[in-house]
Amino acid sequence: MSDVTIPATPRPAPRRIDGGTIAIAALLALILLVPLLVGDDFVFHVFITICLYGALATAWNIVGGFAGQLSLGHAIFYGIGAYTAALLVPLGISPWIGMLGGAAVSALVGVGIGLPCFRLRGPFFALATIAFLQVIRLLALHFTGLTGGAVGLMVPLQTGWQWMIFFERWPSLLIAFGLLALTLAVAGYIRHSRFGYYLVATREREPAAAAAGVNTLRIRLAAVAVSAALTSMVGTFHGMYLTFIEPEAMFSLAFSVQIAMFALIGGIGTVFGPLFGTLLVVPLTELARGWLGASALGLHGFVYGTVLVLIVLFLPDGLAGLFRRKATTEASDVEASAPAATAPAEARPARREMGEPILVAEHLNKRFGGLAVTTDVSFSLRQGEVLGIIGPNGAGKTTLFNQISGFLAPQSGVVRVRLAEGGFVTPHSPHGFARAGVGRTFQIVQPFAAMTVLENIMIGAFHRHPGRAEAREKALETAARMGLWAQREVEARSLTIGGLKRLEIARVMAMEPRILLLDEVMAGLNQTDVQRAIRLIEQIRDDGVSVIAIEHVMQAIMALSDRVIVLNSGRVIAEGLPQDVVRDPTVIEAYLGKDFAHAHPA
Amino acid sequence: MDTFVQLVINGLMLGGLFAIISVGLTLIFGIIRLVNFAHGELLMVGMYLTWLGTTQLGLHPYVLAPPVVLALFVVGLLIQRFILQPLLDARDAHVQIFATVGLSTALINLALLVFGADLYATPSSGVRDSIALGPYRILVGQLVMFVCGIAVVAALHLFMERSYLGRAIRATAQHRAAAQLMGVDVKRIYMVTFGIGAACVGLAAVLVAPIYPASPTVGTYFVLTAFVVVVLGGMGSLHGAFIGALIIGLVDSLSGFYIAPDLKEVVIFGLFITILLLRPTGLFGLGRGSE
Repeated sequence: MSDVTIPATPRPAPRRIDGGTIAIAALLALILLVPLLVGDDFVFHVFITICLYGALATAWNIVGGFAGQLSLGHAIFYGIGAYTAALLVPLGISPWIGMLGGAAVSALVGVGIGLPCFRLRGPFFALATIAFLQVIRLLALHFTGLTGGAVGLMVPLQTGWQWMIFFERWPSLLIAFGLLALTLAVAGYIRHSRFGYYLVATREREPAAAAAGVNTLRIRLAAVAVSAALTSMVGTFHGMYLTFIEPEAMFSLAFSVQIAMFALIGGIGTVFGPLFGTLLVVPLTELARGWLGASALGLHGFVYGTVLVLIVLFLPDGLAGLFRRKATTEASDVEASAPAATAPAEARPARREMGEPILVAEHLNKRFGGLAVTTDVSFSLRQGEVLGIIGPNGAGKTTLFNQISGFLAPQSGVVRVRLAEGGFVTPHSPHGFARAGVGRTFQIVQPFAAMTVLENIMIGAFHRHPGRAEAREKALETAARMGLWAQREVEARSLTIGGLKRLEIARVMAMEPRILLLDEVMAGLNQTDVQRAIRLIEQIRDDGVSVIAIEHVMQAIMALSDRVIVLNSGRVIAEGLPQDVVRDPTVIEAYLGKDFAHAHPA
Repeated sequence: MDTFVQLVINGLMLGGLFAIISVGLTLIFGIIRLVNFAHGELLMVGMYLTWLGTTQLGLHPYVLAPPVVLALFVVGLLIQRFILQPLLDARDAHVQIFATVGLSTALINLALLVFGADLYATPSSGVRDSIALGPYRILVGQLVMFVCGIAVVAALHLFMERSYLGRAIRATAQHRAAAQLMGVDVKRIYMVTFGIGAACVGLAAVLVAPIYPASPTVGTYFVLTAFVVVVLGGMGSLHGAFIGALIIGLVDSLSGFYIAPDLKEVVIFGLFITILLLRPTGLFGLGRGSE
């Protein structure tokens, strides 16, 4: 691909201390200083509440926002934290230890719930978490010997730092603020690390994330473990702060919903959104309650619910959406100038010789119910080869692809992939194939729509470059190579179909695969784009990547393939050089029917 | 044996109650593909309306059925029009859940603000009298509920199968865009569907109010069971909801007696989790659970 401009050295954006960072630091300082300076009990109470809810909503957001799993059962972890510490205090164990113990238990419980439930989506996941919460609440009520049941549990009143109970208000504020700072730091770290990018990618499109080498179940479990542990720690502190706990309050559905609401109001998926939400509604309701007094039973919940409905209707990204929109326009202004350096046109390495088999499929069989979609398919791909797979619609090409990339398990037969170090492995999951060096694209493009083009490519780049800066650099380089440089900061959803197809290839190329599976990357492209794509694949091949391409565009198949396999009704009906295969009567019959089998000019 | 039969009768009657609450929920899910987390609060609103009607106007609760059903139909229409319709094409499918969760919280607490946390018992007006069937006893109100449950399911079924509007509703459920191309006004269909779903729960409220007192959280109590019923029966299936309700009624009644009264809900929610995980399509479902 000689006509493309390549940036000489992609420049990562310089780290700036911008206005937003200063504003947030000032905000956090205010949360700590205002109550200390005012010194009023009510003000202390309001700010401790802000810190508590802010921390809880931030912790919830790691699962509910980043991972996109709407948990309405987070009070489980909050209650476990409170009970663990409260039950240990009478044994002379400090709640600080109880806090860690509760966090560990909560993380385990979170994984235990998440493991079966993460395949449920949206409302069904939410319903399952509610059900778990109800079960745990009812069990806590039932086993009175352990929890004290409905009567509740008084925490022994031993004061001092060791027991987390104080006469004054300020130490409690300090601890609550510490917990808030901790959850924010953890959420911030996650959001800007590979872990966070993987979570968002999995939320947006699980198959594409899996193809990019993400173990989607494991990262979600990790997210729920972290979120549960943090929630539990806040629960421990709150239990000590209240000095009285009971199942109805600790494992409350309304409380779980409330935690989620603060995050939703502030803006899920952002680091500071949940805190913004808390800062908006908590003071509002606490003040209103102060003015209206005891007659205002239910007022806070009414405000929360109404604000949530209004936010959903008029500000779907939450309060944080207001800030973010501004921030992205700034970012694109900074890097407007594309670095330009033309790649030398003839400097391409000569095409390497084809080597040993690198991917081998043996006797693959797959049935969907009574329909045999893959019947005894065997083939091998050699190092540096381009293997074309053609066949009429419904021949089972994509099903075959799914079996050689871990998305479907064959009923019998094996797929073996040779590692870079030599030696074959048989991976069993999409991320296992990715780890073995297999990258794939999807016939129906699977962009992470809410991410920018660059972030999309970074998801692929993280596979070999765990650090964010290196991944970004790799992604910038790939964007330039794939002709996506100009669009790198736009959201993927705004690309044209040609752009989306290039993005699909760019994301997989950023993984630096040794074997590339292309599923109809030419479909729907115009002639110019087809030419570009052909040159692109030639270049990829010349870099030593072995390619299997499903394609209907014959021009591309003829130009690129070293060898072609023809599938029909799930069987290999022909195999050979492209020019031979297209003359094969069986192939013509498969495409056009018996009458045409001998109709081509000799 | 007598105890067992009485428990089964109690269970079936309880099933009738669950059925009539769940029908609207499953209808709204089946057509609009929306899990209405505010469904229980519609029941709560209906129960307060019934309480007001009986105590302030001195009417028999059953006489209030037409006005309460109509009121809830309008409430449902308005919720769909002004809260859910604007979110129809939202990027994130979760926002509709957020909206109904927010609505639910707002309504519970509004009730708390207006009525306080006290229980408001609707005068029973003979509804709580029991009829003897040999050695067994049934409450009049439960029998009425059971019969109404069957009638509502049958009527909705006929409406969906036979009427033009019912066909349009089913077409919309199967393929929104295609129905639109065929000249179906999808937004109106959704409003009507939500209205019917809410009207069903309005009828449930009138029948439930003389038996259970109204409180701000009464909806939460019933709707959690309704979710279990609907998932068990298969989200969107009307007769599935009815059979699911009978099963859950039996489980409730029997496990409350043979295991422990305070653990019967553990059994029900345990069953719920098992179904969600092993057979998310339920018994007669549309197969959307793991979507």
